[in-house]
Amino acid sequence: MTEKIIQMESLTGGYDGKVVLRNVSIDVLKGEVLVIVGKSGCGKSTTLNYMLGLHKPYSGRVLFDGVDIWSSQKVLDAARKRWGVLFQSGALLGNYTVIENVMLPLKEFTSLTKAEMMDIALSKLEVVGMEHAAFENPLEISGGMQKRAGLARAMVLDPEVLFFDEPSAGLDPVTSAGLDETILSVNRSLGTTLVIVTHELASIFAISDRVIMLDPEEQGIIATGAARDLGDNSEDPRVRAFFGRKMGE
Amino acid sequence: MNGEVIHNDGRIRVSGRLTLGDLKDVTASLEGISAGNHVLDFSDCTSIDTCIAARIWSITEAKTANGALLEFQGMNQDIKALFDRFRAIDERPQIPVQKHTLLYNFEDIGDKVLATWDTVFGLVTFTGKAFKALFSGKVRGSVVAYYMEQSGVMAIPIVITLNWLMGVVLGYQAGYQMSQFGGELFMPALLAYSICWEIAPMMTAVLVAGRSGSAFAAEIGTMKVRQEVDALEVMGFNISGYLVTPKMLALFLVMPLLITAANFAGMAGGLTAGGIFLKMPAVVYIDALKEALIPFDLYWGIIKGFFFSVIISVTGSYMGIRVRGGPAAVGKATTSAVVVSIFLVIMVDALLSLLFIHIRPGLSL
Repeated sequence: MTEKIIQMESLTGGYDGKVVLRNVSIDVLKGEVLVIVGKSGCGKSTTLNYMLGLHKPYSGRVLFDGVDIWSSQKVLDAARKRWGVLFQSGALLGNYTVIENVMLPLKEFTSLTKAEMMDIALSKLEVVGMEHAAFENPLEISGGMQKRAGLARAMVLDPEVLFFDEPSAGLDPVTSAGLDETILSVNRSLGTTLVIVTHELASIFAISDRVIMLDPEEQGIIATGAARDLGDNSEDPRVRAFFGRKMGE
Repeated sequence: MNGEVIHNDGRIRVSGRLTLGDLKDVTASLEGISAGNHVLDFSDCTSIDTCIAARIWSITEAKTANGALLEFQGMNQDIKALFDRFRAIDERPQIPVQKHTLLYNFEDIGDKVLATWDTVFGLVTFTGKAFKALFSGKVRGSVVAYYMEQSGVMAIPIVITLNWLMGVVLGYQAGYQMSQFGGELFMPALLAYSICWEIAPMMTAVLVAGRSGSAFAAEIGTMKVRQEVDALEVMGFNISGYLVTPKMLALFLVMPLLITAANFAGMAGGLTAGGIFLKMPAVVYIDALKEALIPFDLYWGIIKGFFFSVIISVTGSYMGIRVRGGPAAVGKATTSAVVVSIFLVIMVDALLSLLFIHIRPGLSL
């Protein structure tokens, strides 16, 4: 489990000329569950957006499988077909049904028949426990269901890496735990690499192999390691304060 | 009133529990303090809310500046903490406020020029991407058909009605003026030229910009806010090909048809005005039209329609794709889509009109 699938090298970036991340380097290892945590405004989602190639960094680069994703649009497009993303809101298209949303990547990038696409989409919806809502409008189902449907769409092309932006945000603890289990099962059964941005401590402890903690003042990483180690052994008061809520300090 | 403020020979006793409702009385009591030494005694005061504390603090500062000396005594922990917070704010270095100097106004103009340049550059790049996607990607016929229905079929009633009304107004105005000189027979020609060359294409473009341009901006802007555009992008979709080209192609196909319908509606309006106000028989009106118009006059509106369709669809989509932030940004995007579309339509129309004079058979300067 040591092969690097994503390398963020000395990346500096932000919004509107304002620096949010300064000289940040992150390696994502094949098959691991990497969780990025930190206070609000520390650049968690920004980091994810740079990994996804949604913004071009001010400096530094992002490599996917050893190739700079910004070397050409072709490379970026090819890399994106090997990823899946679950956005905070689920980001389902409101003018399609749930199953049509899940079938979207299949329609665009494969030459499968409609029946084949339906089979695949339904099987993915079954993995996330959403087959019963396949023909619902995404805007008429609950937030938790939207996220699970979003996960089914993210998984439909069997991606090598799945990115999650705040998967538990706005969900009750039981639904959140259920989603965590689904996410973990994807990692365990398919060996998919997972990169998750969250600040839900229960999720961090339940699913992470490794945690990277960002800090807004440092504009970069202040801790990296296993969640429990960071909570128990970190000498940095900011890290202890973050994990301390769970550890009962 | 739960608490009160009582003066007693330089000693001001604040007692009870003071809340927002006591603000007026507290202000009146403290405003009366004269110069000299005073003690503000909070020994009998159980609590004060933030508004009362802020007022006491500001009056105290003002009085101190005018030579009075106020000493706070007997505060419990909570009240002391409130005043400590105000003290800390006062001691914090002030954030310099940007003064609106003459230079600032020039900077502001410069910023706006740069922002406009960014918009123009972005719009040109975006148009290029849309055309590239149009010629390199697959066309989703059902989506194009959907937008043709939304932007074309559903716009027919309003386009026809408004252009007919414009025809009536123009026919009546022109006919009335010309009848003063016995020249009402020239009204059909004047009206037909106005309608076909300018009014119908322009009115249709303005209506389509208002209906469809704003709808495109709102649709894509909402998708942007809901991260749907980001999701499509990271799934590897070509955003221009998926979201913009169906709209562009649909408008490209329906706009010339709408303008043709507008031409006929406008001329029908002229017929109505001629019949009612000038008592002009329909045969006379139609014969005059036949004599005045050549096929090129009708094609010209169609040619303009092609240009206008690209402007409206691309501008609407571009304003939508630029949305950042929340729902308020979607509202701004729809407004910008309509304003910029109409501005560009008029600009292109002016250029085409210059060209028209040189290329229309039988017309020369």
